[in-house]
Amino acid sequence: MNNTLDVKNINKTYNGVKVINDISFAVKAGEIMGIMGPNGAGKTTTIRMIMGITAPDQGELHFFLNGESRNRIPQASVGYLPEERGLYKEAKVMEILLFLSGLKGLDKVIARKRIMEWLEKFQLADKANSKVQQLSKGMAQKVQFIASVLHQPALVVLDEPFSGLDPVSQDIFKQEIRQLADEGMSILISSHQMNLVEEICNRIFIINKGEKVLYGPLQDIKAQYGSYQVNIIAEQEIPELTQSPLVQSFQRLGKKWSLVLKDNTAPAKFLATIPPGAPIDELSVARISLHDIFVRIAKGGSSDEINLENR
Amino acid sequence: MKLTWKIAKWEFTRNFTNKQFLIGLLLTPIIMLLFAGVPQLISKLDKPQQEVFYVIDEISEFGQLVEAATDTNLKFVPYQGEQAELDELVLEEEATGYFILNQAFLKTGQVQVHTAEKKVVFKELQGLLSNLLQGLRVQEIGIKQEQVAYLTSPALLSSVQIGGESNGDQSNRIGVSIALAGIVLFLIFTSGAMLLQSALQEKQDRMAEIILSSVSSDNLMQGKIIGHFLLGISQLVLWLSIGLPAAWYFLDIPIFEMISLGQLPILIFFALTGYLLFAALFVGIGSTMTDMQSASNTQGMVFMLPMLGFIFVGPVISNPNGLAAQIGTFFPLTSPTITILRLGLAEVPTWELVVAAITLLVTTLLVIKAAAKLFRVGMLMYGKSASAAEMWKWMRY
Repeated sequence: MNNTLDVKNINKTYNGVKVINDISFAVKAGEIMGIMGPNGAGKTTTIRMIMGITAPDQGELHFFLNGESRNRIPQASVGYLPEERGLYKEAKVMEILLFLSGLKGLDKVIARKRIMEWLEKFQLADKANSKVQQLSKGMAQKVQFIASVLHQPALVVLDEPFSGLDPVSQDIFKQEIRQLADEGMSILISSHQMNLVEEICNRIFIINKGEKVLYGPLQDIKAQYGSYQVNIIAEQEIPELTQSPLVQSFQRLGKKWSLVLKDNTAPAKFLATIPPGAPIDELSVARISLHDIFVRIAKGGSSDEINLENR
Repeated sequence: MKLTWKIAKWEFTRNFTNKQFLIGLLLTPIIMLLFAGVPQLISKLDKPQQEVFYVIDEISEFGQLVEAATDTNLKFVPYQGEQAELDELVLEEEATGYFILNQAFLKTGQVQVHTAEKKVVFKELQGLLSNLLQGLRVQEIGIKQEQVAYLTSPALLSSVQIGGESNGDQSNRIGVSIALAGIVLFLIFTSGAMLLQSALQEKQDRMAEIILSSVSSDNLMQGKIIGHFLLGISQLVLWLSIGLPAAWYFLDIPIFEMISLGQLPILIFFALTGYLLFAALFVGIGSTMTDMQSASNTQGMVFMLPMLGFIFVGPVISNPNGLAAQIGTFFPLTSPTITILRLGLAEVPTWELVVAAITLLVTTLLVIKAAAKLFRVGMLMYGKSASAAEMWKWMRY
């Protein structure tokens, strides 16, 4: 698969503080790539550099869009939903979408047709002539999303697209983003809500304190970090389980014991090793979540970094 | 450039179709008319109160006095009785007062006016009595009224410039020059205020980032400046299309003849460059603020800069080619208005115009460059206004 965007060794320093430290990743054509990390990790700064709003102090950006290779962002071929979201409150929905698509070079007649199609998709067709200030927050966010994809860009960058949305709207967004990727659009999503992003991303890049933590296909990362987690409620340690050769690591929080199984360990194989009469009150098995992986790595520091790009 | 025009068009139509703008557009001339017309109307309604004086006439000139007071606010009532009773009568009738015309008046010219209230201005009465006294004394001496007029007529001065215009034309010219400079200042202020508002709005509406992902910050700034210039111009054109014919018709000022075509390009250059200078300054500073309330002293001072020209207006009118006028012309922040004012008042030496034009142009280009740097960073900064030190840092970046 060809890369749509190559980010190579970018750095950014603000007021003497290095906020982005030597970051590299790529977005492939037609994939959904997630850039994740806690608040203040450097996601938005990275995205602003990609969007050409700020420039990296060091490093390079390469865009391969519509058969052309460039070092500067071809603004008309990229869509953007910024984290700092807003719309002109006094303007009407149709007007503002026509204006924004006009800046991307979209013909007015085509734009008008597409706007109505999108508004219908989001059940906002009756709001085309409403002023932005009459819309709810969720509605406005849908309008902003439409503005970022209306000109059918080859690459769309969505900074925290799910924040502030109710679960129903989140599902609609996920569905539409998936659909756009299926149609061949490359999508870069940033979010601190890992559970939402892991549902739709093909690959992820996890960033913390401006540095790379994890990068690669989602499945590979999950495989690398133990496929399953066994949660046990027990008064005391059961050494047969915590010291089991099938367990990669464990954590204790009061009566709660979390055991991460080694790669490719079937849960049933582990469960068969539980001694009869072991003092267990509760037991559950779940696939390890991205969130858990991140928390473990973040706590462990950057020495836990792995790169699964070429796996 | 295409994107700049798209932004300019958006700024123009968005504001031109804005209710507040339209109301302002229509209301301003109405308010101006009100301000001009209402005081006159009030002054008509509020006629000066008539002053009533009782007169004890011992020299039989009452008839002449009444005749002289025909078009004044003075009313004289003859009285034949005791002076002591007159005191009471004045107070009873709420009259202004009374006085006595007697031989002593003819001799010394002195009149004692007894008044009901303490403060009474006798200016009009004094004029009337002076004329009466003069007339009576002229009769006494036996010379004719015409001879008196001939003797007392003052010297009348009027200046005519060699090969130039008459006095009346010149005062019209000063008026038109001030008006032209005023129009430029007005354009700077109104468009500047709108530009500032627009930059702030962009930040408050959180639109800066989404726009900047489609156009460069330079394009956005230029588009805003052009859009608001067009907005200001259309506002002016509308008002002047009503105001100019009105001034021409009602005040009989030949405005169109006052503006010589040869000077028009110079005038347009200074007006446009001046607008650009302040527009860039305003939009650059505006982008570093969060809202109007959070403006720091430095930022607030910037908005007062167009007022600097006022310092020079007085000296320039009294001496259009003096030192003050020259300083005002060369100093870029006052140059647009003062040069336009001077062009209307007198012949400005060509070298001065050239120096002023170059200084203004270079300053404007530098300010635009600095403003673009402020704008680039400022538009993406939320939550706090930039300090002077921060602004300086951004400009050097």
